[in-house]
Amino acid sequence: MGIKIDALKCINCMACEMACSYHRDDGFAFLSACIVVYRAREKQDYFGVLLKEEEFLKVARPEGLEVNRIGEAADPNKKADASVKPMLLREGCDLCEDMDDYGPMCKAICPADAITLE
Amino acid sequence: MEYLSTGKILVIDLATSKIEETALDESLVSEKIGGAGITKHLCEKYLNDDPIVIGTGLLTGTTCPASAGGLITAKSPVTGKLCHCPIIYKVGIEIKFSGYDYIVVKGVSDNPVYLWIHDGVADISDASGIWGKDVWESTDSLRKLMGDDLIQTMVIGKAGENRSDYAQICYNYWSSPDRFGLGKLFGSKKLKGLAFRGMGLIEVADHENFVRRSLEILKEIKTNDFMTKKGIAEIASAIGEAGIKEWLEPIVHRHSADYFTPYATNTAVFFDEDPKRVEESKVAEPGVLISDVPALLAFKKLGLSAEDTGRALKACAKYGIDPAAVAGLSGKSSLKEIVDSFDGLSGTVALKGKGIFSPWCPLKPIFNDFGLSGDAAEAEAWWERRQAVAMIFGIQPIFSVMCPELSEENMLELAGIGTELDLTQEILDKVVADLLK
Ligand code: SF4
Ligand code: SF4
Repeated sequence: MGIKIDALKCINCMACEMACSYHRDDGFAFLSACIVVYRAREKQDYFGVLLKEEEFLKVARPEGLEVNRIGEAADPNKKADASVKPMLLREGCDLCEDMDDYGPMCKAICPADAITLE
Repeated sequence: MEYLSTGKILVIDLATSKIEETALDESLVSEKIGGAGITKHLCEKYLNDDPIVIGTGLLTGTTCPASAGGLITAKSPVTGKLCHCPIIYKVGIEIKFSGYDYIVVKGVSDNPVYLWIHDGVADISDASGIWGKDVWESTDSLRKLMGDDLIQTMVIGKAGENRSDYAQICYNYWSSPDRFGLGKLFGSKKLKGLAFRGMGLIEVADHENFVRRSLEILKEIKTNDFMTKKGIAEIASAIGEAGIKEWLEPIVHRHSADYFTPYATNTAVFFDEDPKRVEESKVAEPGVLISDVPALLAFKKLGLSAEDTGRALKACAKYGIDPAAVAGLSGKSSLKEIVDSFDGLSGTVALKGKGIFSPWCPLKPIFNDFGLSGDAAEAEAWWERRQAVAMIFGIQPIFSVMCPELSEENMLELAGIGTELDLTQEILDKVVADLLK
């Protein structure tokens, strides 16, 4: 099981990032999120969602999903995003196993239903 | 103030370069709740120093749906009235997470400066390197200087530096709801702008209940038909502008939302790149992000094509001038003439209602009727109250006029759960009445 993100449905609202951090910090922050909206190419209106799993960094780009094994060199043709670096230091997705009432918090909060469980 | 808040107010004196921090007292929150209730109080407290107060709402940056908002409160240099300009996109939340609930900027600087506010630290920095640059160049420069592309900015362009009555404070690269000439106020203080970044943590009194209620409210919101729609043309269409969707569609790239706002109120249009391109554009500046419904409609009414409207909006955003004022006052109907009119613009833009909230937010209910009868005076009074409440709690203003589920009752309930304060309808009524005085 894992989190699946439809980047074309995403409206770049950052709620998943907040909800993920909340499930670790019990407060509102973006500090510990392992799901992060990449939004640094603002003038190009290019955005999608990054997900850190234990072994993989998944990049849900509008043009499709890119999966990188953590520790291996990323595709040199794709520009890295400012959001990637801090992500690598964070814990990977645990599917919110402690959130009994909700399941994955990112899925529960996404207003655009861009996140599903597969 | 321990909860839903950083607990800190920053007071910056541009005349003396003195920076002070004061505590946000719980008693003030109990009396004024937050957002516009407190920014107005701070404006009155520092009245003799011509203050600009930047703030966030009590619910800003939480799991309350649409809690994206912040605001700038100041005396408009154009109308002479105290006004509240919404802060949109992701700028409002960055202010709170940078470590401060409220920032008072008083006095006048001798030389151009910008304020860098990050992780509970504030600096006044020399802006001579960016004074003279347009809004886009200024944001690019600040992000490059600090080495962080996610820095959120409020900056002025040439219009503000030249103290035009129509100068806007712009957010990142984009036009803002500033219809009050607040860009002129920045210019007259020699304040080029502010840059925010922070990774703070906002504590919640009863976080489990707060999140549970937030998700219940979200669930109710998601039953609305508007959840199948996106973007600015749908908003314009819903308030009666026929043909706008077909007119804009050929240049639409994508729609995006302010922080946790369930409806994507912003639409990016591309005119120097294929709008249907899904990969990252190789063009540095392929288009513009539009959040201003009245300005979009005003350029359309002048007879401009959608592409020329996009180009006019981009030129306004770079120059830092209110696009609605340009469309309404330039008297021109070609792109070149419109862009050439920025410096010589004159005339008065009438603000609706009491002139304290920005008519950037449509003055009608959108997608829902909120039980209004259709009477114009009733609608105006409803709109002003809705704006006041949105500005107190930190709710995205356009979403607040489309979503009945974000009721005063729900907002008060979340604020109470989040703070453990007894925030009642009577207190809210009093704060709203004071704002509308
Ligand atoms: S399932 Fe939970 S841990 Fe995983 S990305 Fe979503 S919120 Fe984060
Ligand atoms: S919550 Fe959903 S719409 Fe919002 S940024 Fe995350 S994936 Fe995108």
